[in-house]
Amino acid sequence: MSVLPFPSFLDDVKEKGLRKAVFELVDESVERLTAGMNIQDIREALRGEAPSRKPNPRLQPHADGFWLHMRPSYFHADMTGIYPTFRLGWLSTYFVFFETITGILLMIWYTPSPEVAYANMINIISNVPMGQLIRDLHRLGAEAMVLIVALHMTRTWFTGTYKKPRQFTWFTGVILLVITGFLSFTGYLLPWDQLALWAVTIGASMIEATPPPIVGENLNLLVRGGPEIGANGLLRFYLLHVLALPAFLFIFTGVHYYKVIVHGHGLPPQKENIGEDTAKRVPLDKRVYFIPDVLTSEIMWVAVTTLILVVLCIWFYDAPLEHHADPQVTPLGTTAPWYFLWIQGALKLGDKVFWGIIFPTLLLGLLAVWPYLDVTPSRRYADRRFALTLFLLLISFITILSYMGLPEFGVATSPDAEIMHELTFPPAHNHVGKLLPVPYNQLVVGMYTTREIEAGRDEATSAVAAFNQEIEQNGLKGELLLELQNTHYLPINNLNFVTIPADAPELYKVMEHFNKRLQQNQDELHNPWGAFIITQNQANMKRVDIIISWDEVLIENGAPVKDANGQPVLVLDAEGNPIRRQNIHHVFIHQDAGYFAH
Amino acid sequence: MLQQGMIFPKIENRILVGIVSFLAIMILLVWAAINEGGRMRALTATFHARSIEQGALLFTANCSTCHGPNGYGGAKGPALNNPQLFGHDFFPEITRQITALQTEKADLNVEASRADTTDARRAEIAARIQEIDMQIQELDAPRRQQLQAAIDKGYDPQRPNRLQNVGWAGTTESFILTTLVHGRPVSNNYWSGGGMVAWSQTAGGPLRMDQLEDLTNYIMNWDKGSNWTLDDLFAVQQFAIEPVDGAPLLRQIEQLQASGGVLPEPVGTNVQEILVALEGVTGDPARGDAIYHNVQPSQLGALLACSGCHMAEGAGVGPQTNGTYTRTINERLNDPALAGYTPERYLVESIVMPANYIVPGFQNLMVADFGTKLTLQDLADLVAYLETMNQ
Repeated sequence: MSVLPFPSFLDDVKEKGLRKAVFELVDESVERLTAGMNIQDIREALRGEAPSRKPNPRLQPHADGFWLHMRPSYFHADMTGIYPTFRLGWLSTYFVFFETITGILLMIWYTPSPEVAYANMINIISNVPMGQLIRDLHRLGAEAMVLIVALHMTRTWFTGTYKKPRQFTWFTGVILLVITGFLSFTGYLLPWDQLALWAVTIGASMIEATPPPIVGENLNLLVRGGPEIGANGLLRFYLLHVLALPAFLFIFTGVHYYKVIVHGHGLPPQKENIGEDTAKRVPLDKRVYFIPDVLTSEIMWVAVTTLILVVLCIWFYDAPLEHHADPQVTPLGTTAPWYFLWIQGALKLGDKVFWGIIFPTLLLGLLAVWPYLDVTPSRRYADRRFALTLFLLLISFITILSYMGLPEFGVATSPDAEIMHELTFPPAHNHVGKLLPVPYNQLVVGMYTTREIEAGRDEATSAVAAFNQEIEQNGLKGELLLELQNTHYLPINNLNFVTIPADAPELYKVMEHFNKRLQQNQDELHNPWGAFIITQNQANMKRVDIIISWDEVLIENGAPVKDANGQPVLVLDAEGNPIRRQNIHHVFIHQDAGYFAH
Repeated sequence: MLQQGMIFPKIENRILVGIVSFLAIMILLVWAAINEGGRMRALTATFHARSIEQGALLFTANCSTCHGPNGYGGAKGPALNNPQLFGHDFFPEITRQITALQTEKADLNVEASRADTTDARRAEIAARIQEIDMQIQELDAPRRQQLQAAIDKGYDPQRPNRLQNVGWAGTTESFILTTLVHGRPVSNNYWSGGGMVAWSQTAGGPLRMDQLEDLTNYIMNWDKGSNWTLDDLFAVQQFAIEPVDGAPLLRQIEQLQASGGVLPEPVGTNVQEILVALEGVTGDPARGDAIYHNVQPSQLGALLACSGCHMAEGAGVGPQTNGTYTRTINERLNDPALAGYTPERYLVESIVMPANYIVPGFQNLMVADFGTKLTLQDLADLVAYLETMNQ
């Protein structure tokens, strides 16, 4: 007998033997943990067998447990398939948790201050084990979440599930879409690199346009924490990103899902009579129980999605990190994040207040209240030609606006600046200037020119010799030398161009590209040549000075003026000679900088 | 139970796909973890390299005018691409031996100046000191011969470590970074092109801290460790100018006083007497320059910092230094109040009795205690220096 006033585990062992006693203990624990299912119940469920005891133990976790209390114990068989939900709602929810967990991990190494935020990012990427992977997952997950939430909304529109009685569910869904967008957007600033600062500057500049001016100005101050985004702005974005917006997201996710359950998951339109809503009345033969069928499906989807993300982040995707944020240096081709490009595109249509504020607000407002406007009862595709067309038009419009948001559209940059940028821009948007990835040992010290490419391989030597003579005779050599020495502090004392050595094929390729781009822009860059001057700056670092030289042509309204023969009109100096222009820029390339490794 | 419509209608297939995906995730994570060490090392090197590139851009734009595009220095700033900055000694063994001899000599000097030292011992000491000087000379001569080109530009082979010379206890990196952050507030006293300004935004400059770190990484990237060559040393255009710390001299003076030794006489304020005495002394304009610019203390251990008020060019608190002698002759001595003055008398009186005559346009602000801070030799050197200011 036990010394305790109740039978102990030891008594059990004496009575039933060790094996049985242990099994019963475990079995009981499992049943308590699952709030109703013992080992045998779980085994049956996972084998796809019917439950062997009554009442059905698989309903117990829904009734007694916390975790499943909000999940229905069975679904309608017509909506558990891939169609009509495509599991997009479930995946959106999963991403809320996925982003929270990866985000909390990142918070461990992050301080929201312009002094250290960027250094924190470098530390996370290069000094925290698995840090880069976690950051990549968080970033890619965020972009995937925006996409999936938008697709979820699109699907709901197409199946007409927003209609009565689910109008409010849709409404909260639009709020969740907006919150997701803002969450992604506020997270954009946190790395405090050039991409972050300028993307957010563009986004935040729209706030300023909110009418009337007094509201716009003060909203702008409130969000940015000052006239420019600085320490206060970063802290505010951080707090929005990790506190305020997630709080709203969790609340509205709760409201949204509660409404989904209250009204039942909408069935595919063709499965119901027009005007009926039978989602809550599931006939016995149509019931698909959450345990095990829907649960296994959901876990499978989560596993597969996570696997895809992990594979992408390990091999194909690195979250961008550009140079440290610098309010003094505006990078060429700055864009908002892709999901806000449509607003940037709209801004190019005209008035900032209308296209930047009123138009997006109207659009989202219209989306939010759409179920209250579209009160036709039928959810059948054939009856909803107007609504479906409207949405397809909307998608096309947003796509076109997004394209218009790209820097390629409607932003005039002089071709010399553009070519210079193409050759030298630091890693951004997973691209890098063409010159930077040339292997270090192929950056052979010397001076090279596009004339070599123009002449072709056979004539290269004589063309370069002729070029040396040409700049000597027209006095350009002296001018260039002085400018390189005095304005660009390049310690050289002579200009002597040579042909690119045979063991530098990558350098040759870049020069070919350089030449091609110059020739393509002959209209604005008349009679052009380009050059690289490669010097050894430090034992393990080279300096490349890039020169673009051309005759200035007359430009009116952003386009070169042509004469009767279709030739560009040259700008002439007082003596009637063409004016030679130069764009000179230099970059440094360290042998360990790894531009060519990625 | 088949669930039609699902991608995997059979539950076992869903479970299988889920488990396989989960295992694949785990394997990938382990695989990623195994590679983390190498990846982090590579990325650390990458970011360091890119920081150096950024530093190079900043250096070219902001620093190369004074420190030279290759970092070899120039008239306005010392070389940073310089074995001295990184403390490389080309002749460490000679430096060690000479330092030992110098220590011995200093100890002997102190002993000799003590009142209780016997004459016999003093004679012994004098002999040993002579011997030491000879040995130092012998050790130093070949080294100096090899380094002559650098010595001509201000290099001191016996003091090859910039950080030690200024008594910096930290690393070269922290030395460079703090210099960038704060600048050298009084360096315009001894650099003709203006001093090193503060570059950090914290200290009122234009650059952010991360930019200063980039610059530091760039400058540190010049370090060749033990691979510096004499050619690197000879490429240096300008070595650091070091304002001398007055403290050791003051300690020497205190020791001398404590041991009953005799200090040199201060020059006093009697201009007539001084002028007579000055006739027997030859002034050294180079030493006068050093005293004037705070690079050396006077023989009485005082740092004068004349250039703090008398800037090279332009109106400071006092009249500018350049052209002092010309103005003395062409302007000051034309003043009836100074009738009968020689330029020398005017300069001497202006130093020891500054309130006697105030240059029009300036106020009577100059401290009147220079008579107690200077020896006759100091004064002669200063006057000699000012006589070279005849632009």
